[in-house]
Amino acid sequence: MASLITCPHCGRRPKEEFSIRGDAVPERPAPAASEEAWHAYVYLRDNPRGNIREYWHHVAGCRRWLVVERDNLTHAVFAVTDAREAAKGGTA
Amino acid sequence: MTSSRIANVGLVDHSRVVKFSFDSRSYKGFEGDTLASALLANDQMLMGRSFKYHRPRGPVTAGASEPNALVTIGKDARTEPNTRATVAELYSGMVAKSQNAWPSLKFDIGSINGALSPMLGAGFYYKTFMWPAAFWEKLYEPVIRRAAGLGKAVMEADPDRYEKSWAHCDLLVVGSGPAGLMAALTAARAGLRVILAEQDFRLGGSLLSETAVIGGVSAPDFVSATLAELAAMPNVTLMPRTTVFGWYDDMVFGAVEKVQKHVAVPSADKPVERLWRIAAGRAILASGAEERPLVFGGNDRPGIMTADATRTYLNRYGVATGRKVAVFTNGGSGYRTAADLSARGVNIAAIIDSRAESADYAPYGVRVIRSGSIVDTKGGKRLSGIMTNRFGYDEMIDCDALAMSGGWSPIVHLMCQRGARPVWSQEAQAFLAPDVGPLFIAAGSAAGHATMSECLRDGATKAHAAVEAVGRLVGHVNTPEVEGEYDPSFAPLWYVPGARSKAFVDFQNDVHVDDLALATREGFGHVEHAKRYTTNGMATDQGKLGNVNAVALLAGMRGVSPAEVGTTTYRPFYTPVSFGALAGTARAEQSRPIRTSPLHGWAKKNGATFLESGFWYRSAYFVEGEEKTWRESVDREVLNVRQNAGLCDVSTLGKIEIFGSDAAEFLNRVYSNAFLKLPVGKARYGLMLREDGMVFDDGTTSRLSENHYVMTTTTAYAAEVMAHLEFASQTFWPDLDVRFVSTSDQWAQMSLAGPKSRTILQKLVEEDLSDAAFPFLAAREVRLKGGLSARLFRISFSGELAYELAVSAGYGEAVADAIMEAGREEGICAYGVEALDVLRIEKGHVTHSELDGRTTADDVGLGKMMSAAKPDFIGKRLSTRYGLTAADRLQMVGLKPVELDKPLKAGAALLREGVEPSMTAGQGFVSSACFSPHIGQWIGLAMLKSGRERIGEKILVWDAVRSTEFLAEVCSPVFVDPDNLNLHA
Amino acid sequence: MSISFTHRHILEDRMGGYEPSPNANHLTVVRRPVIFSTLAHAGHEAAVAEALSLVEDVVVRSVSPSDWLVVSQSASAATISASLATIPGLSFAEQSDGQVLMALSGPDVRTILAKCVAVDLHADMFAEGQSAPMMICRVAGNLARTGADAFEIIVPRSHAAYVFDELRDAGREFAMTRGFGD
Ligand SMILES: [Zn+2]
Repeated sequence: MASLITCPHCGRRPKEEFSIRGDAVPERPAPAASEEAWHAYVYLRDNPRGNIREYWHHVAGCRRWLVVERDNLTHAVFAVTDAREAAKGGTA
Repeated sequence: MTSSRIANVGLVDHSRVVKFSFDSRSYKGFEGDTLASALLANDQMLMGRSFKYHRPRGPVTAGASEPNALVTIGKDARTEPNTRATVAELYSGMVAKSQNAWPSLKFDIGSINGALSPMLGAGFYYKTFMWPAAFWEKLYEPVIRRAAGLGKAVMEADPDRYEKSWAHCDLLVVGSGPAGLMAALTAARAGLRVILAEQDFRLGGSLLSETAVIGGVSAPDFVSATLAELAAMPNVTLMPRTTVFGWYDDMVFGAVEKVQKHVAVPSADKPVERLWRIAAGRAILASGAEERPLVFGGNDRPGIMTADATRTYLNRYGVATGRKVAVFTNGGSGYRTAADLSARGVNIAAIIDSRAESADYAPYGVRVIRSGSIVDTKGGKRLSGIMTNRFGYDEMIDCDALAMSGGWSPIVHLMCQRGARPVWSQEAQAFLAPDVGPLFIAAGSAAGHATMSECLRDGATKAHAAVEAVGRLVGHVNTPEVEGEYDPSFAPLWYVPGARSKAFVDFQNDVHVDDLALATREGFGHVEHAKRYTTNGMATDQGKLGNVNAVALLAGMRGVSPAEVGTTTYRPFYTPVSFGALAGTARAEQSRPIRTSPLHGWAKKNGATFLESGFWYRSAYFVEGEEKTWRESVDREVLNVRQNAGLCDVSTLGKIEIFGSDAAEFLNRVYSNAFLKLPVGKARYGLMLREDGMVFDDGTTSRLSENHYVMTTTTAYAAEVMAHLEFASQTFWPDLDVRFVSTSDQWAQMSLAGPKSRTILQKLVEEDLSDAAFPFLAAREVRLKGGLSARLFRISFSGELAYELAVSAGYGEAVADAIMEAGREEGICAYGVEALDVLRIEKGHVTHSELDGRTTADDVGLGKMMSAAKPDFIGKRLSTRYGLTAADRLQMVGLKPVELDKPLKAGAALLREGVEPSMTAGQGFVSSACFSPHIGQWIGLAMLKSGRERIGEKILVWDAVRSTEFLAEVCSPVFVDPDNLNLHA
Repeated sequence: MSISFTHRHILEDRMGGYEPSPNANHLTVVRRPVIFSTLAHAGHEAAVAEALSLVEDVVVRSVSPSDWLVVSQSASAATISASLATIPGLSFAEQSDGQVLMALSGPDVRTILAKCVAVDLHADMFAEGQSAPMMICRVAGNLARTGADAFEIIVPRSHAAYVFDELRDAGREFAMTRGFGD
């Protein structure tokens, strides 16, 4: 985990200001999607070593949801994007 | 006298006497002394006893890596055990005690372990105390712990203050020796924001202990001049007494500053220690190098210390460690020490040089034994002689101190804390700092440089690179000329053969060469195995002094290079950090950011007892008159609410304002029940699910105007619900026009419940509150008499006629007072969350006791709140999956013990009547229970398999924790007013 | 029956009725500021930001690209509310009692604040006039720089006593005084 995260809105902040929801890769299926798709969305998670995408919430800052791309081995952070922009524009 | 002070030598202030005590004897030192230097000046070489064999020990270093001179400092609540005397800054009135010795330091009964030492070899604990297993806990461990204790922690609360702080800089320089000083100066002159951190109370590092001349002045004078320049620059922060103990992600460093550890009674206006988090753009590790002890027979006698320590005591503290000092060396450091001692009039017994030849010069008249070694030593409380050996011939040489030098190990701990391992250098015969990228680099002897001039130059060069990397211009910095420095290069000597007594590697844990050999023979030669098997490096000093020797010895025993053996894992902290510093201000009342309700004052003056609920203190119950037990108060409050009226603080509920043209649509998607058609001026109870179909939270949402809603959440889930709404809005449906803001803190909210609540409230509210004008679930802005505006909701958790009134928080207490006053003749009372809980259980209303993350809406009887008509809402898709609709799911029911006096408790298991109690036979559990003054017995809500079909069944309530079992009748969860007549009154 | 309700500041108890004359380092608790949360709806962010900057007698504190706190120590809530109501694409909620405004000033104020916030407050990094939401004494709040050695803090009311206690302790070594200011 990083000690400092650079929020695109607030700048460099300590990790204590954030809460982490988890994997940002699965996308919420359409209401009528198959049961398998929903099952996968709610329950199945990859556990990769290396690059991951996570939802972080800047709770003590701008209160925006962010997508943080980072390496869970080296703790290097590659990109931090506003989740709304990511959601609207496909993958960030 | 053997070790003694030399008049007017060193950096201590000989005119300022500092009185202190050690083991109840009074001593005098000088300002600028450490406890160790002052004790040595008083000829007190013996400072402690070793951990396992209780061998007498004196200091072996003059710094942070000290394994032997551990003492307890301070008195009463300020007693601090396991403090290194070598770094403890002496202060007037210091009370120090030796530890690990009984009955006294001089005569210690535990030293009998030394005689038994053949039985106490490596792996001793594992081999001896294996069997029987039960003996370990009851017999072996307590006995071992008593015998092998370090200092004792005190039981009193720490009276002092601690705090934490952030610091920011472009360049952090760790260590203020030659490299650190030049690095700081170079970067500072270029305008960088520089922090120079030094664990010592005096900046200057090794320069304070050396006799060379730098730029025409003495080394200490060069330090003073450089520090004066640095101190005058606004972009420089000098941090003495500050140990950088950890390197964390994103160039954040942890450091602890000993603000007031050098005074007997600290000022209450400052912390005694301050924990720093330093966010650095770049950092230079200028932590220097550690001189290695030599591993020879009897190398642990008091009076044997490193040559570097000997020079430090001499040159910095003006203390000669002996009257006749021998030197054992494999390089230049030993010769330099002999020269410095000799210059101060100390006799040199001999220089024993392990090398056959060298370019080093001995002082005039000093005997040099080349190709020599020491095979044994003698002396009790202090060294009295060494047995030297040269080509097989022994010679006993009398001396009262020995300076040893086994070469140098760069101090690279910090750079290895994030996974990188130090790199073995055959050339340097040492582990060097790994390459961890351009942001954090080593300089000076930490980077493997040997001489002072190299270190000065390297510090400047490395800082120069850092300055250029951030795009600044480098100012002019001259590396000063050094005169009279020595060449500290050495020939490797990891083990001195022919030892006739134990040759120690880890002094503190009494690990000697034979232990490592045994570990290797028995298959524990891997560095991590050997560590655990022998306990090498596992003492409080974490092997700072001995680990490199141990690695090289293991390499020799296994016939491989030290590179192949490698090191054990480095982790923060570099030196021990107190719990006080780690806690900072987070103690007692300030241990967490507690929240205060706007009605706290009102509750307090009405006699509330508070309970912690998350970060809140909520009023639990209000004691009146002679009430002795909490139950008496709660029963009265409950009955009074049902008969008259009660006022309860519900300000802690979450309140979220929701705005937007799509707010209705949004609510419709986050709640399981329909929200599109909620009229303006109305509240609706809503249920939120998680995406897996389980209930997430419940609450009410009211429509205040076309595009403006206010949602209430439970106290516990206020933050989670807000985050959930934000997540759904920002990621699921970014195109819906909806915005949220929490106004939880803006409103003082109170629940006025009971048949007389309307009468009371009408006295204060301008608007007509009749049932026709303000019916059940009405939600509107109203005006209080006098003009204050408020929000009024006719909602009820108790099942009685009830209102929730919200006013601007600053007026909360005054409005609550006015309601109490207005309700006096109606018999109003204040009630707390305990009574609220009883009222809701009597009414079968759920809380998170029932909504525990495993329950569906149907499980708790709220299946009708699952809209079938809506195409989508969070949790809809998976709510119909297999398992969530099974007929034998746990369903919420009511419970009444068959015998009226049986107390029902939440958590008890439910079993079929007549079944032998066991968890596998479980049919469910009691989720909530209370004494119902209305029913006159204990009642409860329970989750029971197919519960709704089993009304009337007698079931066994088994409480394994409290060892009770009795029968209860399954009943409807609504115990009071099942037809909601009171609600709609 | 007409009732006049007394307004109470949550830090009333903390002052203990005793307010020493201010030292160089001083913490002022503003007794009755007017504070609104203002939210721009999607697509209106820039226009709302522009319009807010034109509202008279207020300062605007940044919360996010679409959220601001509007603060006034001179105008009434009704006046500001009326101004805000004219801005298209803006929703707002009053927080005057929900948030507590404290002003810190003095030569050591940056050192004091470094104990409470992780953000670098060097003037090159956090300039006069700048404001941002951040964790202050472990509580989510808003910090603004109002001068070289002057800052304002806004924290939720329920946490204000905790934050106040932390600031009081942080300021102790610099003899920071505390008092209400109107
Ligand atoms: Zn942010």
